[in-house]
Amino acid sequence: MDENREAATGGQRYTDRRGFLKTVVLAGTTLATAGIPLAAYFVSPALEKGGGRWVDFGAVADLNDGETAMLSFEYMVKDGWQVLPQRGFVWARRGPGEAVKVMSSTCTHLACNVIWKPERQVFECPCHTGIYDAEGRPISGPPARPLAVLEHKIEDGKLQVYLTA
Amino acid sequence: MTGSGKPSGGILEWLAIRNAVEKLGAQRVWSDALSWTRFTGSLALALLVLLCLTGVFMAFNYTPVPGTAYDSVDFAQFSLPFGGLIRGVHHYAWNLLLMVMGLHLARALVVAGYQPPRELTWISGLLIMLFIPVFIITGDLLPWDQKGFWSTQVRTSIMGSVPVAGDWMVRLLQGGPRTGIVALTRFYVLHLLVLPGTLLLLVGLHFHFVAHRGVSEPLFSTRERRQVSLFPTMVNRWLLLLLIITVALGAVAYLWPVPLGDPADPTDSNYIPKPEWWVLFLNQLVAIFRGPLMVLGTAVIPGALAAGLMVLPFIDRGPERHPLRRKAMLTVIAAIGLVLLVLSIMGYLEHYGPPPA
Repeated sequence: MDENREAATGGQRYTDRRGFLKTVVLAGTTLATAGIPLAAYFVSPALEKGGGRWVDFGAVADLNDGETAMLSFEYMVKDGWQVLPQRGFVWARRGPGEAVKVMSSTCTHLACNVIWKPERQVFECPCHTGIYDAEGRPISGPPARPLAVLEHKIEDGKLQVYLTA
Repeated sequence: MTGSGKPSGGILEWLAIRNAVEKLGAQRVWSDALSWTRFTGSLALALLVLLCLTGVFMAFNYTPVPGTAYDSVDFAQFSLPFGGLIRGVHHYAWNLLLMVMGLHLARALVVAGYQPPRELTWISGLLIMLFIPVFIITGDLLPWDQKGFWSTQVRTSIMGSVPVAGDWMVRLLQGGPRTGIVALTRFYVLHLLVLPGTLLLLVGLHFHFVAHRGVSEPLFSTRERRQVSLFPTMVNRWLLLLLIITVALGAVAYLWPVPLGDPADPTDSNYIPKPEWWVLFLNQLVAIFRGPLMVLGTAVIPGALAAGLMVLPFIDRGPERHPLRRKAMLTVIAAIGLVLLVLSIMGYLEHYGPPPA
């Protein structure tokens, strides 16, 4: 009696296991077949590199010696299926002499835009009151890294800055 | 159709749902499952229903395209009948939902509702709670106004500061490096399709465990517990709650219309996104830990808090449920709660208080 039951359940389990393995193989194959294209479809836009470009900011002579100026830019970028103007600004400081330093306006803490406060000669981030000195070094508040210095060149008296993304 | 009487048979038989209806009609639940001392769960469900309803109807007048998105929301809110009210109810409903879920959690902490055999009820509930902010983050960007756009910049920046996976997470979420049309489309599909589907699953799971493990026995009541029918007694009670909260939120949305800010302008450096009340403590954590320690505030501490709550039912296994006999546990919980409250107040003063002299 006991032996019979064991044999019966054993046999039952055997066929169940076959069926289960078939389910696993079928479901797995379906998942992989559908999943790989779907995942690639979803992930691929994230892989697109921003790329960089030289942006013309006009005559260097327009910058006053020892002053920090806000230079606005606008260029077209491809965002998925749309081409859109990308707008923003950088901070440029001229002097002493012909030396020019171009700094990103992006706070190194949480990517808010920092603002130059001429009366105190500091950059201030309005979001968490991060303060940078005129050279973009963090003085107080949350930021730990200096403002990014942007690569620039002067061609025919015009300031060109390399902007990414 | 009445719960007490026998279903007539004919049409139910024809629809092949007679068994299901009879089973449902015979279902009995504890009377205190929705009562003056226990209503946060039912209220949260009512708010979710309202959010779903208002959300579906808002979608009828919305296009997920930068710029146009703002125009569509502006049109719906100011030119369509009840447009402002529908958006207002949606807005106030999720704000209230966060508070109600907080109360729901606090109650379970105080009366040890998480103890066995309700560990999985607790864990599924926590998953819902952790899930709701994703809804808020994705929904916030949809109107394409200044607040949504700039809040998204801060949030993706916080997310991006998480070591190793951070940058990838942001790129995957936005479908690229910038918050543009691809990002808006992704947020839109997540908010309207993917997240609601997942939430439905989680809520179903939560209710499954509530149904099979029951609600915790009342600690402070001396009255004898009695059972009532799920249908119609309990359902009617809940419908009354739904009606009351609908009217209340409608009134609030009417009296204090939800503003629609200016259209998003990525160049407007003057716009300072203010963190919302529910995220002030996190924002303060992010502000306190600087430089290499930043990951403590953005990932480690919030992660540890969530993990601590998850494993709570396996640490405090009972059988003592009365708060006065769980002093150590409640002291720890109260201390953490107090720290979060202080951080929130600090954050509030920093962002909403008078400007520093």
